[in-house]
Amino acid sequence: MSDKYSKRRLTGSSITTVVSLSLVLFMLGFLGIIILNTRKLSDNFKENIGVQVLINDNAKDVDVQHLIKTLDASDYVKSTQSISKEEAAKKLQEDIGEDFIDFLGFNPLSASVTVRLNAEYANADSLAWIERDLLETNLVKEVIYQKSLVNSINENVKTISLWVLIISSVLMFIALALINNTIRLSIYSKRFIIKTMQLVGATQGFIRRPFVLKGIRHGIYGAGIAIAMLIGFLFFIQKQLPELAELQDPNMLASLFGIVIMLGIIISWISTSLAVRKYLRLKSDELYY
Amino acid sequence: MALDTIISLNNVSIFQKYNLVLANVNISIDKGEFVYLIGKTGSGKSSLLKTLYADLDLTEGSGNVAGFDLKSIKRKEIPFLRRKLGIVFQDFQLLTDRSVNDNLLFVLKATGWKDKQAMQKRIQEVLDKVNLTTKGFKMPHELSGGEQQRISIARALLNDPELILADEPTGNLDPETSEGIMNLLVEISKNGRAVLIATHDIMMFDKFPSRTIRCESGKVIDSMANRP
Repeated sequence: MSDKYSKRRLTGSSITTVVSLSLVLFMLGFLGIIILNTRKLSDNFKENIGVQVLINDNAKDVDVQHLIKTLDASDYVKSTQSISKEEAAKKLQEDIGEDFIDFLGFNPLSASVTVRLNAEYANADSLAWIERDLLETNLVKEVIYQKSLVNSINENVKTISLWVLIISSVLMFIALALINNTIRLSIYSKRFIIKTMQLVGATQGFIRRPFVLKGIRHGIYGAGIAIAMLIGFLFFIQKQLPELAELQDPNMLASLFGIVIMLGIIISWISTSLAVRKYLRLKSDELYY
Repeated sequence: MALDTIISLNNVSIFQKYNLVLANVNISIDKGEFVYLIGKTGSGKSSLLKTLYADLDLTEGSGNVAGFDLKSIKRKEIPFLRRKLGIVFQDFQLLTDRSVNDNLLFVLKATGWKDKQAMQKRIQEVLDKVNLTTKGFKMPHELSGGEQQRISIARALLNDPELILADEPTGNLDPETSEGIMNLLVEISKNGRAVLIATHDIMMFDKFPSRTIRCESGKVIDSMANRP
């Protein structure tokens, strides 16, 4: 019976370590999801900034079509949508409910192409040279976009990214310290066993190996539980906010889960090795301090 | 150092951190000798033993145990010195997280044994020597103090060491059990192994008289210092 009790106690200490590891790895995975989604969300915002390219009235249709094709093929363009002079007039008439062409006697509107940029080009500098290039073609009358909106989005994304990074770094540090402490405590409770092993002639490597293997096993179990919790969390969030589902990239998530497993293994490995190394280097008398 | 000398200390000073515990220690013990290391609590007996199994560094003087130079021994070589020794402690120091058999198996594996059958045979042999052949499956805490100390001695015998160092092996035991343990150690000594036993149990000297090394006032006094 006491044998069972002893085994139960040892299993209990392993469970405590695995649970602590899984909670900390869940937190790291959660941070990873936030970082990935912050980037995706900011890219999403940036890629929705519309740049209106107004076409000269005297531009030939063939040249305009060529311009649109060139735009579609360029690195900085995500998508284009063209509206002819007539379509623009029709749309405005619908919006204001009056036949303004009849009133003015001509169509003052221009044909236009609405360009949506790739996220990395949706900034003031890139927009400046894109505008310059477009105006140089002589097909373009004007390039219209909200400079203040572009600047404001970029500034906000920068500020938010910086804070996410700072908070993530602090939480990462806390997480590492927590895992390290949990493992150190677990090894500390075995310091006399480690010393006895040394006194009967075991080499440092022979003593360290089973501790490290057990640490790695705990890391894998902890990562497995953390991933299950992350999947549950994502499932719950997607049910509550279905629009967030569009932002999730399965490949990114698979990579993130891979990183969580690797972190579980590496952190447990390093922490266990360092903790065992410490007690292997202590003299018997120093174990009591 | 003579061929049959197993322990040799010359002008050794033993320190605990920066405190001098024993000064000018000169000891020579031959193979097969049974020697008491006596002295009051805190007189330096355990420190002397720890120096012999390289748990305390030898910083002053010179020393040799089972062919290992204690002053120049490297950290990596210490396990190999300890494989030539059998160490018995007052508090037994068994691995509390595994059975008696697994305690003994650990030592054999740690010291390079590979053959499972040979290991099982050796475990049975040492358990037989200490009359505990039926207790191999038990956990250490399920055994009495005397039984735990016998297992500790069985563990010390596993690799057939040339020297047994016993630090107060009867300190936690009742007089009757202590006598049994002492009988066992004397028997081991008669089989050709040197036994150095630290104790302050003066009753034992009358029952098992032998050479005595006394730690007193920071010095070591050998009852056979003037032997030819």
